[in-house]
Parts: sequence; C-alpha cells; structure tokens
Amino acid sequence: MSGQEVSRVTRRTLLKGAAAGGAVVLSGVAGAPWAQGASVSDRRVYVLVIDGCRPDEITPESTPNLHRLRTAGRWFPNARAMPIAETLPNHVMMMTGVRPDRGGVPANSVYDRATGAVREVGESTDITFPTILERLRERKLTTGTVLSKDYLFSVFGTRATYRWEPFPLLPVTDHALDQFTMSALRAMIMRADPHMVFANFGDIDRFGHSDLTGPNVQVLRRTALASTDAHIGQFVTWLSTRPRWSSTTVMVLADHSMDWSQPDRFISLTKAFAGNPVLSGAFAIADNGGADVLTYIGPAARRDAAIAEARRVAAGVPGVLSTRTTAELRLGAKAGDLVVFCKSGYRFSDPQVFSNPIPGNHGHPATEAIPFFLTGGAVRPAVLSDRAATLDVAPSVGAIFGLPAPRGGYDGVSRV
Amino acid sequence: MFQHGIASGDPLPTAVVLWTRVSPTKEATPGSGRGPRTTVRWTVATDARMRSVVSSGTTTTTAALDHTVKVDVRGLRPATTYHYRFSVGKVTSAVGTTRTAPAPTARPARLRFGVVSCANYEAGFFSAYRHLAGHRLDAVLHLGDYLYEYATGTYAMGQANAVVRKNDPPHEIVTLSDYRRRHALYKRDPDLQALHRRVPFICTWDDHESANDAFSTGAENHDPATQGSWSARRRAAYRAYDEWMPVRLSGTAKVGDGSQIYRRFTFGRLAELSMLDLRTYRNAPGGTFTQVPNRDAASRSIAGPEQLGWLEKGLATTESQWKLVGNPVMIAPVRVPPLPNRIRDAIEDTEGLLPAEGVAYNTDQWDGYTAERRRVLEFLADHNVTDTVFLTGDIHSGWACDLPTNAGLYPLSTTVATELVCTSVTSNNLKDILGVPPRTLSTLVETAIFGANRHVRYLDFDSHGYSILDVTPARIQMDWYAISDRARKDATSQWVQSWEVPASSQRVRQAQRPSEGAA
Repeated sequence: MSGQEVSRVTRRTLLKGAAAGGAVVLSGVAGAPWAQGASVSDRRVYVLVIDGCRPDEITPESTPNLHRLRTAGRWFPNARAMPIAETLPNHVMMMTGVRPDRGGVPANSVYDRATGAVREVGESTDITFPTILERLRERKLTTGTVLSKDYLFSVFGTRATYRWEPFPLLPVTDHALDQFTMSALRAMIMRADPHMVFANFGDIDRFGHSDLTGPNVQVLRRTALASTDAHIGQFVTWLSTRPRWSSTTVMVLADHSMDWSQPDRFISLTKAFAGNPVLSGAFAIADNGGADVLTYIGPAARRDAAIAEARRVAAGVPGVLSTRTTAELRLGAKAGDLVVFCKSGYRFSDPQVFSNPIPGNHGHPATEAIPFFLTGGAVRPAVLSDRAATLDVAPSVGAIFGLPAPRGGYDGVSRV
Repeated sequence: MFQHGIASGDPLPTAVVLWTRVSPTKEATPGSGRGPRTTVRWTVATDARMRSVVSSGTTTTTAALDHTVKVDVRGLRPATTYHYRFSVGKVTSAVGTTRTAPAPTARPARLRFGVVSCANYEAGFFSAYRHLAGHRLDAVLHLGDYLYEYATGTYAMGQANAVVRKNDPPHEIVTLSDYRRRHALYKRDPDLQALHRRVPFICTWDDHESANDAFSTGAENHDPATQGSWSARRRAAYRAYDEWMPVRLSGTAKVGDGSQIYRRFTFGRLAELSMLDLRTYRNAPGGTFTQVPNRDAASRSIAGPEQLGWLEKGLATTESQWKLVGNPVMIAPVRVPPLPNRIRDAIEDTEGLLPAEGVAYNTDQWDGYTAERRRVLEFLADHNVTDTVFLTGDIHSGWACDLPTNAGLYPLSTTVATELVCTSVTSNNLKDILGVPPRTLSTLVETAIFGANRHVRYLDFDSHGYSILDVTPARIQMDWYAISDRARKDATSQWVQSWEVPASSQRVRQAQRPSEGAA
C-alpha cells in the first residue's frame, strides 16, 4: 500500500462492536467488511506481544497457561530482542522484518535534528518500510492491530485494516489494562475476523517499570504476570473452540525483557560530559532507560574527535557497559551517532539526574532475552535452539500466508 | 604391545585425537626412557570390523615420548561414530569407538555426556568408569583429578586410610619419570581402559594432576626445599599429561608444543563447551581460610585475565543455546554454619571447607577469588547470557545449585546460571572421613548447608560414582549414579537422583527419573 493510500484511510470510523465487558470502539479502512471478513484464506495468525516479559518468568507456578502453551508449542528458548531493546523499535521490527536502518524506528526516543529536540519515534511516518500489515492487505487479506500503548497505536497508524485505539488509558502508565486489550482483541475477531492480528499487552511492562515494591519483591509485576497469563490462557482456549483453529497460529513473544536498578544506580552522561571542553554541549542525549542515544550537534570539523572523546569518557563512567556506533547496530541515521549501554542493575537518567526515577528499565543488552513461541492448531510442537528474534515475526507471518519477501529481502527469517 | 589401552578425545566436527602407548620391548617401561623407535599404524573405519576404512596412516614414537602415540585424525564427517585401532607390525590393538562432534550449524536433538572427576587409585576400584561405559554417550567430560600425586598410604580409602591397591611409583610423584609411571598405572586400570575404548574424552586438569592445591607459583603439596622448583615439577606434570592424555594442548595433538588446556568445543547450535584451567593462571594460593586473609581482594585471580576474557567472549558470541563450562572447582558460593568440631574437621579434610566461627568458605574454589566470580556472574547478567551451566568436579560430592548475582537475596535475586557438580569416582567424601554409614552424620551437614545457602538445591556428601548430562533444546538434565562399594571390583551402580535446568530458566529443579529412556 502506498503512502497516499494510507493517508486516505479514515483514521477512526468509529464503528462500534459489542463485546464482553462493554462496548469496544474499533476503527477500520473505509469499505472493509465487518461480519466474518474476507474468505481469501482460512488461515489465521495472532501475534501476541507480552510487553517486557522475561523468559525466566514463564514457569509452571507463576504463569501456568503460558508455560503450558509453550511446552505444547514451537518454542525458541534462545530468542532475543534486537538492539535497542525498546518497545517501539522491536514492535516495528516485528512487523517489518528488517533492522532499523531500513525500518526507520531505532529507539523509543531520539534527537530530531529537524526540530532540535528529543522526541518519541512514534509517528506513523517514522516507519520507512512496508509492514506485514499493509503487505497482507495488498493480497486482499485483512489485518488488525490491538495495541495497549498509545504510541504503538500512533506508530502503526492506519496500516492495519482494523484498529483499536487503546482506551481507557491509565494516567500514570499511559496504557490500557490487559483486560481491556483482551476484550478489544476478542471483539475484533468476533466482529471482523481479520486474517492476522497484532496485539500488545502492556501490563507486565508497565507495572514492572513502576513497581515501587523494589527490584526483588515486585508485587505489582508478579500480580500482572498472573493476570496476563490468565487472559492469554483464556483467549487461546476460546480460539480453540472456533472453526478455524486447525489453521490458526498464535505467536507469543516479548519485545524486550526487564531489568531493575536501585534508586542510586543511575548514570547521567550529561553530568559526565559537563565541564569537558570537547563534550560540553556537543551532544544531544535521548534517554532510553538502559541506553542513551547520542547525537553530535557541534561543529562538523570536531565531530570525529568529539565522538572519540565521548566514547572514552562514557567508558569510564561507573555502570556503563559499552559504547557502540549506530552503524554497528544498524540503527540508521535517525539514531544519531552513538549508543551507550548500561550494565545490569543500572539505568540512565538524562538530561537531569532526576529525569528517570523509575526502577524498571530496558534497552540495554541485559534485557534482550525474550520468550518466543508459536502455538495453535496449525503448529507442531518442537523446541529449537535457533536464535530467533523479533525480526522473525514478519517473515514467519509472510510464510504462513505465502507472501513473498519484500524488496531487498527480510533481515529476519521465518520460524514456521 | 598395547597394554595401556587405546583412547580418543577432543572431538571436533571433522577431527578427533587418537591415543595409545606401545611397549615394543620389555625395557620400554613407562618412565624408563628406554626402548626403540617404533612405527605405529593407525586406522579409522566406519564399521567395527574395520573393513570400511576412511583414514589411516603411520607415525613413529620413541622413548622421548615415553612411547605414547597421539594422532589428530582430520577429514572425518560430523556427528559420526567411527571405529579405530592401532598396529605395530602384525600386532593390533583392540578396536575402539569414537564420535565426532556435530557440524557448527547442525541442530542435534540430543547430546549425552558422562561427567566424572576425582579418581584416586589407592582409594578404590574404578567401577564408576565401567558402569559409565555401559551408557550411550557422545563424550565423557573429565573435570580433573584424573590421577593423584600422593605416595602410597598417604591418601587412600576412608578414615583408616586403607590402601585398596598400591600406587606406582610408591613415592610421591615429582619428576617426569614419576608422572609418566603414575599415568601408566592408571591407564592399566581395566575399567578406565573400557571407558576410553568406548567413547572420546574431553578433559581438563585440576590440581592433583600436578600437586594438591596448585597455583601458578606453587602448591600446598610441594616443598621446594626437598622437591625442587615448582616450575620444573609442573613442567614435568604437564609434559606427562600431554603425552598420556588424548587432548590437544595449545590447539594441537603434538606433544611438547604448548600447555594451554583451556579450549572450546561446539556441538552445533545445541551446545558449546568451554573447558577451563583454574590452576595454571591462579595467582595466589587457595587453601584454607586462614591462609587467605582477603579472599575478596581484586588482585586475586583464579582464571587469569586472558582466560577470563576468552571465556566471556565465547559466552557472549556463541550461536549455541547451552553454554556449558567445564569448571574444575565449584563456583557457587558456599557458606558453612557452625558445626560440631568433629564434623567441621572432617569437612576441612575432605572438602577444603573451613568453618570459622560460623562463616566458612572453600577458598580453593571460586569462593577464594570472589572478585573474579563476581565479574563472571555480572558478565552473564550484563550481556543476558542465558542457559549457562557450570559443570564441576573436585569436591567429592554431588551438588545442584542456582547461581544468583546476589546470593544474600536468593531466591528473590536474579539467577544468571546454574551449577551441577559430580561426585568423586573413588576419592574420599564426608562419610568416608567421618567413618560413618551413608545418610547419617552427613545429612546433618547437608541440612545445615541448605539452611545457609538457599541457592544450593541438591547435595549428596555420601556417594561415589558418575553423572550423565543429557542435553536437549528444552532442558539439561544431570543424573547422578552411585556405585555400591568402591573397595569391590564388582561394585554395582544405582541411580540416585536427577536435576534438570529447563531452558531459559537459569534454575535447577528436581527431575523424577533418569534421562535414559526419556522421549
């Protein structure tokens, strides 16, 4: 689908569908069918992202449903999120199958040279590669997005045939609770039955970020795990009663995991750079929790020297794990020049030391391991050592529907 | 001619080391430095009757090599079972079986390893090796103390120090000739020969291959005043090891061209094995608590910076799912609470643990080098390295442990790896030193250790035997087997317990049955 076509799609046509638990507002492409959609394919794919879930949190005791589904499914225990292990880039990598230097979304937050300010990379126009959502539509297949976070809804915009705008949003976490997300997902399936739906469940991530019971006790986090586990268990059980179960694939994964820091274990590169004649004022820093994204904004002639000095100084800051160029990480020009990662148990807090007070963070390598498994009537059980990645979702969905690779190919591989 | 048996080791996807020792004349005894130059033919085939030969050749050995033979056979097929034998003139050896590792990109559904350590000749018969040879295995991981250096009667069986069978030479081994003779003694053991003949070994050394509690510049059991320089003794020990073991030191099977034993093996995408050397580069003695006033000093190194960097690089960059670490001494922190003096003394004697008014550490293990341990565990956390399992020997007891980054907060602390420890083949355990029946006094100690170390989930201070490590993408499982009586040649073997590490969990949990026969 071209950009022009996307812009013609009505963003919210406010078609209402009754669903368990109350009215759910769904929107769709003008003219898209609403009762038992297109019959181009009997296959159904549901990509369920358990935002921020750690693979070691799936246990028979704490998440019995996820554990059961994983055990009976096609499981990739060696799976990883791709850098930067943040929500926006990894969701975009899932739907494009390509790295950020092609997909356009390298981090949650970057410095925008055009505006001269740090901004969230959450605009629909940030994605620069066709997503599987649009590419399936080109084949007359229907797609849906049910995304619990507002910035996810924004970044994917109107690419899917059917959308749910997260509501109601919690004031502190700025996401819709999983119970509402799940209601919307069911409503969308009942009302429109898209061939493929991309859903994000934000409770575990959001309560992990803000859990003030500490990095070890995690009362809110553990409660959210149990709740989300129950929702997904019930959802898959419900799916299994539907007519197309034998041709249904449910992909369950996370976009990143989570790490926790003590209040005093923060890193401020702004502070570390202050007073250094080469660095002071030479970099704009976009804080991504476990990763600082640095863009050089000084005179061009001093760029190389400043980057070398920034790497040297950052490497000496307690809690810093490594410094990588954006080229090494294939992040693209939007990500500036350098990415500084923290060690496990630390977080970045820039530009001010109080900018990031939350204990739960991700973005650094410590948060790259993710759960990743396929279940459903169309899936044969297996456990595979391959290093699956978020990048592999689009190629896998494409393979299920017989979609050829996009121009230039995928960076990920099919796991079906 | 082939009275010391045949062996294979260090399997790579297309290569394996074959070993034997020939006795061309009566005078050519191990360590004698005598005997003629001898040409030895080696043959590798795909069938046990040696008809489908895929590789063969000749090599020569002399007294300078103590008439040992090592051949690094190349050009083999990955994940393939081969048969091999040696011949001198018309005299042929027995036919051995070996197996190459899977190709680097292969996806094996299962791997099975025997896991052993601590075989003291004078303390009993090696029935554990015989029973292990009865299992289907890809390789045997020998985690050290393949032999012991002591003089006859100084470290034998149990409280009475009974000599089940005598060492050769009878004195403590110090010279190259001594080490060669001791290796030869062990290689004459029929149970060890059977296991070597059956399956390739992947070995590392611990301290007793040279001397007790060895470190870079000395050992607890080395007196320079009477035994000469430590460097000369260690050089002799390593030379004999190079000659007599089917290993590649410094990357080759050539004898005498290097002594680096830490190395890595890849078993497709399923597992990678890093074998460590925790003696050669350790820069300060381990020993007992009183000898180590500052075990937490950053300067204390057990692995050395170069080896540690090598380990970290491998852990962070491997494509394989399971990161196995052949780890000669325990890495899990172990704190021992106050115990009765009799038991405390026995632990000190057997395990190297020294209770000091309620706080105790085995400082010969990673517990004596806490800065480096912390570096390793933090590296695993920082880089999100998952499915790392330390496989350990040395301590004459069976353990299954979680490895938390902060043991004081366990089980709430993040756990980054696990550790599985095999029992000794024959070397004394706690009940042997206490002189009590199994499952009596030692259970008190086990309970006390569980209480003070909640990350220790399984502990058996009483058994001798072997372990089997069963590796699949879904989990790793260690099965502990115990022999009935190390003083009897015909000892039986019995499954004791199994613990598994589910993939991506970084935690051990008890399994209900041994792995063999599992689907």
